[in-house]
Amino acid sequence: MKCEQIAELLPDYLQEALRPEQSKIVEQHLAACPECTEVVALWKKLATLPDEQPSAVSRERFEAMLHAWQSGRADNLETAKRPSLWSTFQWLRSPVGAVAWSIALLVIGAYVGLQLGSTKANSQDLAALHSELAGMRQLVALSMLQQQSASQRLEGVSWTRREDRLDPQVLSALKHTLRNDPSVDVRLAALDALIRHSAQPQVRSSVVDALQEQQSPLVQVALIDQLVEWRDPQAAQHLEKLRQSPNLNPTVRQRADWAISKLN
Amino acid sequence: MLQVRDGAGETLGVLFDRYQTPLLNFYCKLTGDRGLSEDLVQEVFLRILRHRQTYRPGTPFRAWIYQIARNARIDHFRKTRPQVPFEPEMAPSVNPADPAQQQQESELLHRALMQLPEEKRELLILCRFQELRYDEVARLVGCGVSTVKVRIHRALQELREAFHQLQSAPADSSQRGAPQNFPPRRLGHEV
Repeated sequence: MKCEQIAELLPDYLQEALRPEQSKIVEQHLAACPECTEVVALWKKLATLPDEQPSAVSRERFEAMLHAWQSGRADNLETAKRPSLWSTFQWLRSPVGAVAWSIALLVIGAYVGLQLGSTKANSQDLAALHSELAGMRQLVALSMLQQQSASQRLEGVSWTRREDRLDPQVLSALKHTLRNDPSVDVRLAALDALIRHSAQPQVRSSVVDALQEQQSPLVQVALIDQLVEWRDPQAAQHLEKLRQSPNLNPTVRQRADWAISKLN
Repeated sequence: MLQVRDGAGETLGVLFDRYQTPLLNFYCKLTGDRGLSEDLVQEVFLRILRHRQTYRPGTPFRAWIYQIARNARIDHFRKTRPQVPFEPEMAPSVNPADPAQQQQESELLHRALMQLPEEKRELLILCRFQELRYDEVARLVGCGVSTVKVRIHRALQELREAFHQLQSAPADSSQRGAPQNFPPRRLGHEV
């Protein structure tokens, strides 16, 4: 039998899907045809190529993503329907719930104290109380940003979104997270949080600074896109510097070229 | 998968454990870029959560997840249009137990695979490394089973030629080992 005829059978032979008599025909041809034999040998050799193994942080990234997704889903459900007593109880048992519960108790305590202590609760006291609450929220965020678990650090980043204006200490922690956090998801979340406060002068410079230090193409592309959105006049020179870095991912280099063309 | 579809996100961890390594290897062998491959694996599982309602009970989950994997990569390349160079560190790692000649052959074969046009490389990867049946691959890429078989045969012929060329000129093989990445085409249903 010729090679052209065997070609119809060979793919099924490779997947061991031929009937015995057909396999025999192929094997007889292989015994006389070095080219087809070589194809079969290559097919077998392909299976010997070594497999890559997932990195140690892969599972952690997945869990952070799953946790973030579940949190977002829980928020959506909460707005869609009133939560049950049980789900409220479960939420209060979480670390975030405990902190929120403590804050609520503080507010109630302060309110009752103000009512009992003086009937002339003035606006100064309320302003001080607001300030104290804001400080506590920022403390929670700072504490969670330093946790080992990526999902807890993600929660820490989401706490910073509750502030109208970032405290310098929280801003500094977010900048540090954007530059140094081992999880790409947490770095991207930190970038999102910083963008919300882009009116603050240090935010834009922190995004520009982070660009040179990033290794993940995903984060680099997100940073580049943000610089283009801001139309930052200084961004072009930083992008030029980035694109000249050796070992830069070609995807990022291409994105940097696109961004430079947009900014000029 | 039905539990994931019906809202039990925790069950996704079981699927992650089962599929993260095959998916990582699918992407690594296809793109030659490990960092990008790890990002795409995460993207696949995020898409499973987002689009879990599109999974139809009774249909093969393996084909469904590879459909998502292909589309995730297509969308990535649509946004970025990269031409990823062959990374020497992605070449097979040295296994001291193997004889030197076998090592060299393994490296040449890997380079030859990376030289194939992306569509052919993807077919070989799906059939050989991911061990999908021809009918599963046919549904995945949106063609008939007989077309898949013809393409597999042609891909193997081309692989043989590339392998021979590398064997005859191993000195400059690293230059010619760049993957032939063409903009991937989305086929089959949207996920």
